[in-house]
Amino acid sequence: MKTGLPVIFAVVLGLGGSTVGFVLAPAVQLGGVKQTTVLNSTDLYPPQRIGDATLGLQVYRANGCAACHTEQVRQEGVACDVVLTSAGKNPQAVSNLLATLTMTHLTKEAADTVADQLTAAGGKVETHIVPVGVDLDRGWGVRHSVAEDYVYDYPVQLGNLRAGPDLANIGVRSPDSNWHLLHLYAPASAVSNSKMPSFKYLFNLQKVGASPSPDALSLPSGFAAPAGYEVVPTTEARQLVAYLLSLRANQPVYDAPFTPPAKP
Amino acid sequence: MSDEIKSSLPTPPPDPQPEAVQSNLPIWIVVLTLILIFIGGLYFDQHGGWFQAQVYGPYASADQLELYQPKSGAAAALAHGKVVYEQVCGLCHGVDGLGKPGQAPPLAGSEWVTSAGFNRLAHVPLVGVNGGIKVQGKDWNMAMAAMGAALPDADLASVLTYIRSSWGNKASEVTGEDIHKIRSTLGAHPAPMSGDQMAAMPE
Repeated sequence: MKTGLPVIFAVVLGLGGSTVGFVLAPAVQLGGVKQTTVLNSTDLYPPQRIGDATLGLQVYRANGCAACHTEQVRQEGVACDVVLTSAGKNPQAVSNLLATLTMTHLTKEAADTVADQLTAAGGKVETHIVPVGVDLDRGWGVRHSVAEDYVYDYPVQLGNLRAGPDLANIGVRSPDSNWHLLHLYAPASAVSNSKMPSFKYLFNLQKVGASPSPDALSLPSGFAAPAGYEVVPTTEARQLVAYLLSLRANQPVYDAPFTPPAKP
Repeated sequence: MSDEIKSSLPTPPPDPQPEAVQSNLPIWIVVLTLILIFIGGLYFDQHGGWFQAQVYGPYASADQLELYQPKSGAAAALAHGKVVYEQVCGLCHGVDGLGKPGQAPPLAGSEWVTSAGFNRLAHVPLVGVNGGIKVQGKDWNMAMAAMGAALPDADLASVLTYIRSSWGNKASEVTGEDIHKIRSTLGAHPAPMSGDQMAAMPE
């Protein structure tokens, strides 16, 4: 067998190359990712998932949610907005200058130039970093996803198909657990044109006892249980909702900087 | 068609056979490939981020990512002040500014912190206090080292701005230049003031 050695060499090169490229290099690059600090703060991000939320990840996985939902927000660009916070001692000069300047959607260099001009005129300015992207316009997130978002996910539920909306920030977008339970039981009751299948098997349809269960869903008419029955979420449903509420990728971190809206 | 007729036809000429010849790789292909590799290398250098774990998506390099960190503005200075406060001051004065009995007086609502001027307040971390002071009508008899003496002007200014505008305090901000002025009036190693000396300082 004359070609034996070259074949073995090619196999080793092919398998070895892909192991290095797909396994070893990413592990070296991102294998040591830990909690990070939120920008301009001492808070840690992401918070450790606890209790039901940890178990909910497995329910999410078991029900194949990642087949239709992603957990990754994209960002196409970044812009700077210059915001005048105080006109200072010479408001006339500042307002004359304002009429000639573009203040939003600038590059950092242009924003610095504008900020310098306004500061020279006596005004006080802040430069806000604003992420830009289609996903962000849809309201699916406030910045692109970063490696730290997934530190406590095992396995990571990235998903690659968006039959439903992205869920990376769902805990901020829909913080109401009752809404999530209703939506899981009868998607159309919460979102009229929803294509999501019903996850009725995560709920128990049971006879109303001596007094109605405090956990029973209050379903809108048309979706309500038959008279004398009530719909009560199972433990799995609660865990899944706890997991969904723990998805909160909304903090500015070093890898994905932005200026958070001012606290009231 | 019979064999007889076929044999009577003239023999067709043999098909021309392909022939392998050695020829040099055209030099323009080599040059073009090298030029493309060079352009690709330049593009990667400018946009690839050099495999740095923190550089993603819209950012092309670690330098660009650093450039876009939100730093300017009062909010960022305040946030920086909070970070420095929690590292340097928060251990004794508490991250909630309420102080700790037997360790440090409160800063929230303290007349020392919210005074109109900040000359006296700035002297506290710059030189330290030795002995009793009165805060909100309560006596505190303890020593504070010159915790702020080693901080850069801008850091100390942001800490003072932070404590003067947090936990319900509403007093004016302090700039790095102010701190620089106050610091330049002090010697290289100023001795800690006693509580009474400190209280007698102009605000």
